[in-house]
Amino acid sequence: MKTTPQGCQSRLPDNTALKQQQLPAYRLQLSATGVLSGFFATGVFCLGVGIILILSAKSIKEIEINYTKICANCAKLRENAVNFDKECTCSIPFHIPETMQGNVYMYYKLYGFYQNLYGYILSRSNSQLLGTDVKDVGSCAPFRESHNGTPIAPCGAIANSIFNDTIILSYNLNSSIHIKVPMLRSGITWWTDKYVKFRNPSSNNLSSAFAGTTKPPYWPKPVYELDEEDPGNNGFINDDFIVWMRTAAFPTFKKLYRRLSRTQCFIEGLPAVTRFRGEKSVVLSTLTWSGGRSLFLGLAYTVTGAVTWLATFSMMAAHLMLKERKMFFSQQ
Amino acid sequence: MQILSCRLGASGSEAERIVKANDREYNEKFQYADNCIHTSKYNLLTFLPINLFEQFQRVANAYFLFLLILQLIPEISSLTWFTTFVPLVLVITMTAVKDATDDYFRHKSDDQVNNRQSEVLIDGKLQNEKWMNVKVGDIIKLENNQFVAISMRQLLEFFVGCGRETNLKVRHALSVTSELGADISRLAKFDGIVVCEAPNNKLDKFTGVLSWKDSKHSLNNEKIILRGCVLRNTGWCFGMVVFAGPDTKLMQNSGKTKFKRTSIDRLMNTLVLWIFGFLVCLGIILAIGNSIWENQVGDKFRAFIFWKEGEKNSVFSGFLTFWSYIIILNTVVPISLYVRLWQTFYFGKALCILKLMERFFFSILMDGSVEVIRLGHSYFINWDRKMYYSLKATPAEARTTTLNEELGQINYVFSDKTGTLTQNIMTFKRCSINGRIYGEVHDDLGQKTDITKKKEPVDFSVNPQADRTLEFFDQRLMESIKLGDPKVHEFLRLLALCHTVMSEENSAGQLVYQVQSPDEGALVTAARNFGFIFKSRTPETITIEELGTLVTYQLLAFLDFNNIRKRMSVIVRNPEGQIKLYCKGADTILFEKLHPSNENLLTLTSDHLSEFAGEGLRTLAIAYRDLDDKYFKEWHKMLEDANATTDERDERVAGLYEEIERDLMLLGATAVEDKLQEGVIETVTNLSLANIKIWVLTGDKQETAINIGYACNMLTDDMSDVFIIAGNTVAEVREEVRKAKENLFGQNRTFSNGHVVFEKKEQLEMNSVVQETVTGDYALVINGHSLAHALESDIKNDLLELACMCKTVVCCRVTPLQKAQVVELVKNHRNAVTLAIGDGANDVSMIKSAHIGVGISGQEGLQAVLASDYSFAQFRYLQRLLLVHGRWSYFRMCKFLCYFFYKNFAFTLVHFWFGFFCGFSAQVGKKTLFFLL
Repeated sequence: MKTTPQGCQSRLPDNTALKQQQLPAYRLQLSATGVLSGFFATGVFCLGVGIILILSAKSIKEIEINYTKICANCAKLRENAVNFDKECTCSIPFHIPETMQGNVYMYYKLYGFYQNLYGYILSRSNSQLLGTDVKDVGSCAPFRESHNGTPIAPCGAIANSIFNDTIILSYNLNSSIHIKVPMLRSGITWWTDKYVKFRNPSSNNLSSAFAGTTKPPYWPKPVYELDEEDPGNNGFINDDFIVWMRTAAFPTFKKLYRRLSRTQCFIEGLPAVTRFRGEKSVVLSTLTWSGGRSLFLGLAYTVTGAVTWLATFSMMAAHLMLKERKMFFSQQ
Repeated sequence: MQILSCRLGASGSEAERIVKANDREYNEKFQYADNCIHTSKYNLLTFLPINLFEQFQRVANAYFLFLLILQLIPEISSLTWFTTFVPLVLVITMTAVKDATDDYFRHKSDDQVNNRQSEVLIDGKLQNEKWMNVKVGDIIKLENNQFVAISMRQLLEFFVGCGRETNLKVRHALSVTSELGADISRLAKFDGIVVCEAPNNKLDKFTGVLSWKDSKHSLNNEKIILRGCVLRNTGWCFGMVVFAGPDTKLMQNSGKTKFKRTSIDRLMNTLVLWIFGFLVCLGIILAIGNSIWENQVGDKFRAFIFWKEGEKNSVFSGFLTFWSYIIILNTVVPISLYVRLWQTFYFGKALCILKLMERFFFSILMDGSVEVIRLGHSYFINWDRKMYYSLKATPAEARTTTLNEELGQINYVFSDKTGTLTQNIMTFKRCSINGRIYGEVHDDLGQKTDITKKKEPVDFSVNPQADRTLEFFDQRLMESIKLGDPKVHEFLRLLALCHTVMSEENSAGQLVYQVQSPDEGALVTAARNFGFIFKSRTPETITIEELGTLVTYQLLAFLDFNNIRKRMSVIVRNPEGQIKLYCKGADTILFEKLHPSNENLLTLTSDHLSEFAGEGLRTLAIAYRDLDDKYFKEWHKMLEDANATTDERDERVAGLYEEIERDLMLLGATAVEDKLQEGVIETVTNLSLANIKIWVLTGDKQETAINIGYACNMLTDDMSDVFIIAGNTVAEVREEVRKAKENLFGQNRTFSNGHVVFEKKEQLEMNSVVQETVTGDYALVINGHSLAHALESDIKNDLLELACMCKTVVCCRVTPLQKAQVVELVKNHRNAVTLAIGDGANDVSMIKSAHIGVGISGQEGLQAVLASDYSFAQFRYLQRLLLVHGRWSYFRMCKFLCYFFYKNFAFTLVHFWFGFFCGFSAQVGKKTLFFLL
């Protein structure tokens, strides 16, 4: 049997590193120094990034004006839906202690408003919002049709509960001179939302495009009259509407309202916060490369880095102790 | 090919079968199964219902169907039925298509077998007929190398080698039917009635009687050709069909193999249950949370979601939330482990394509991967060059892909000896003839020495027929032959006559022996080299060449070998007309049958035998008896009578065999060497170091087994004690076990009989304490007799306790069934993982009953390999399989599972925590979650 029969050669497995399990990574031989230095480096990295993120978040100037209590009378008025078109204004004077440099953004912030409820999130019609079929209200239950059977546009619980307070910022030079601060309504949405996900139904006249539909029950005005100043900002592509339609994950959230340059404000409208026991406020904030004034990411990095370092040092201690013991054993 | 037997009308409670040749009408009365086989599962009509039923029987499928139904309820999930239904249908269809293709090929192979042509004697003529139309009672003709697809009784032929693989078996026809010859007209008139046993699955047993022309002839296993055999060395034969289709022994034997699971699988199953419980707990917590939230907060919030207030009650909302969360959190249950990749599509919230992709990605990484990892490991085993045996060009093979990590958990290895630890290449080494040892080499000083290369082997070149591979180092035997010592001649003549070997001439004109067992081959080859050449055989004669002259012996009777008799004999009439019985067999049995005049020779030969056994050689004793004509004729008549009866035939025949095999004259003994395989010692040592206990289960005699034990380092001189249990009665065995235990544990420990079942647990607990206190290595040797007593009585537990405390256990003289029983004993009473390794058909039961069976792809055919989970060519590869592949598989699997659970929990608990922020409304929140942080 010295000569192997013909064809048996092929039964000999290939001598490749993969098949013979000889790739270096098959058996990771981790050395103590390698592991410890790896851990240490990770810790350094995480701590560094965390500290930088925290610092940059701290550098953001942010002012929050809670107007829930001050404008409580307006909220009371609105609680009765009959009064939806009655004007109600209240004004809050405030002082900006230091200069806010760079772009300043105005947000509205809601406390305890559950935009993340399962039934709430599903209650919208994407095909309607795309402008393909204005009368498609199938998935909008329960805000599908008005009492007389006309489909609602935009339909659904999200659209119905839109935040429609008007916030005006004015600069009080003295008690009599108020300078209205110019605010930009544009550029507060995602490009894809504004130009892809939300389209108006095609027609030369917006109001005729929405013919045969009715406004949501809580709205004072139909969707094609949302922005009286800029006719191009009406219908489904209204910036405020788009921002609202992108639902927030947590019950406390802020949404971008205006981009602006400085001073004071004036407020009115929905949602009636007392009905959901929440609070409303206006937030003025600057932005940095790392986003808004959220410490979460920075803290997460810092904590991870710290824990890694802790692990490094405890492992190093264990290693050193064991090393002594091993030496002791090997000497015996 | 998987075979499912299907009975067509044949009654299962058939007590015996009556078949009349050439009479279809008569046989139809009994409604025997026809020869059409169906291994396919479905047909066109039944495919859909049966297949769907089977698919939803799988736990995973049923679980996902349940989830799907939940999602179809709008209050729980607001998906349209379509989006959920499509993936389900996709999965079901893919499985169904796969099943349908499998079944199509089964149909095809069935058709191929059923439509195979055969020659059947119908209406006095040989006609071509399809296999499926062959009926019980038909007479068919088979030709050389033809595949037999039916069980049939041999009607007529001269000589048949029948068997599978290399394992040839002799089949004879009855002499009365042989006379019919190939005369078709006479065959067509043949109207014998066969009464035989009902269909069963015993391959080596058949009893029946042929009644023809007012006389009865017995039929046994030698007269039947089984389905699945191939005719060899035979021109043609005629046979009568006795069993057909599903009644054949092959079909009856194709039982379902047990589905083996690893301990990790079992652990996973319990974990899955626990995790499922955990999931329900999460669901309940969230449901309660939802009820409270609805009551306190959601109440105020309803106007935004529901036009009209107060529509919903909070308890009902909580109830619905529970089910919603069961759907969402189901990923925490690793049931998806058992599910193929794409089944994760079931996950209900997978709405958009992106999410599908993401799921798919995760599933490729994780979910389906337990099986994928196992498959990978199997490939690593197949690819391992270090387990490739180049001499036989056999790589290792993982025949089961699901047991790899169990290899790293083995506690007990049960090993066969012959062919597993040893090479199973037998060489004739020594013999003792008439009280004189041959094959021992003395140096000039008259001292025994080991055989070294310097010694000249016996020159066989004078004999042109000699087998060149045999080397024998004692010239004295050759000299004795030349001197014409009659005992030596008789000895070699016996070796050339008393065997089941068949001869063939190969193309070069050389004699080639077809052997059933290598022992016999070694002996016949030895006789051949010393000038007694076995030439050929027919059912009635054996022709040998005695020192150059051809002599033909008439074969009068053949008393075959079996495990109980442990000997075989032939009765021949030599040309001078003398009748002689030649017998060879195990010494213990044979020595009881000797004539009293042999006493001196017996003691001498016994000494020689123990010397041989001490060297680890396999021994056989050899004896003969002169018979006188009259006595033989009487005996032969009785044998024929006994054979013709159906009831208690085996007992009666055995009694007759006993009767004639007595007053034997001892000739001597043979010793055959079976060399240890390469690397066995090293492997055994390494496995012991790894705390794996090795038990050797062998059919060899005690001395041989012990010697092999020493040879491969399982038994050492350093051992504190080697207990030998060789009692012949239950009481003796009990006493011996008790003594051994006392020795082991000291006197202070009372001996319990193991009667009391509820004490067993305590006993086991005590064992673990004792196990630590026992110092020193012990070994246990137990023989088959004692084992049989021990296994059947209450000593079982004590024996097990004793055996488990020993480092090495050797069981000798055990039957295949006992091997399996020993394995079962350890498997059932110890919380241990067992591995059985063997190479022959006698190891199959052991291989099947152990947690993991390993087959040595060696000499003795393929049965062991076919029954095994892993196979390789050499015992030494076991250490690589267990210590390298097993260990790595186990490590990797454990790491993977830890990671898998971590991933499942990390992935799913996010939803749980988010529940606290979204009013427990079962919102997934992942998509939107990214934006606000």
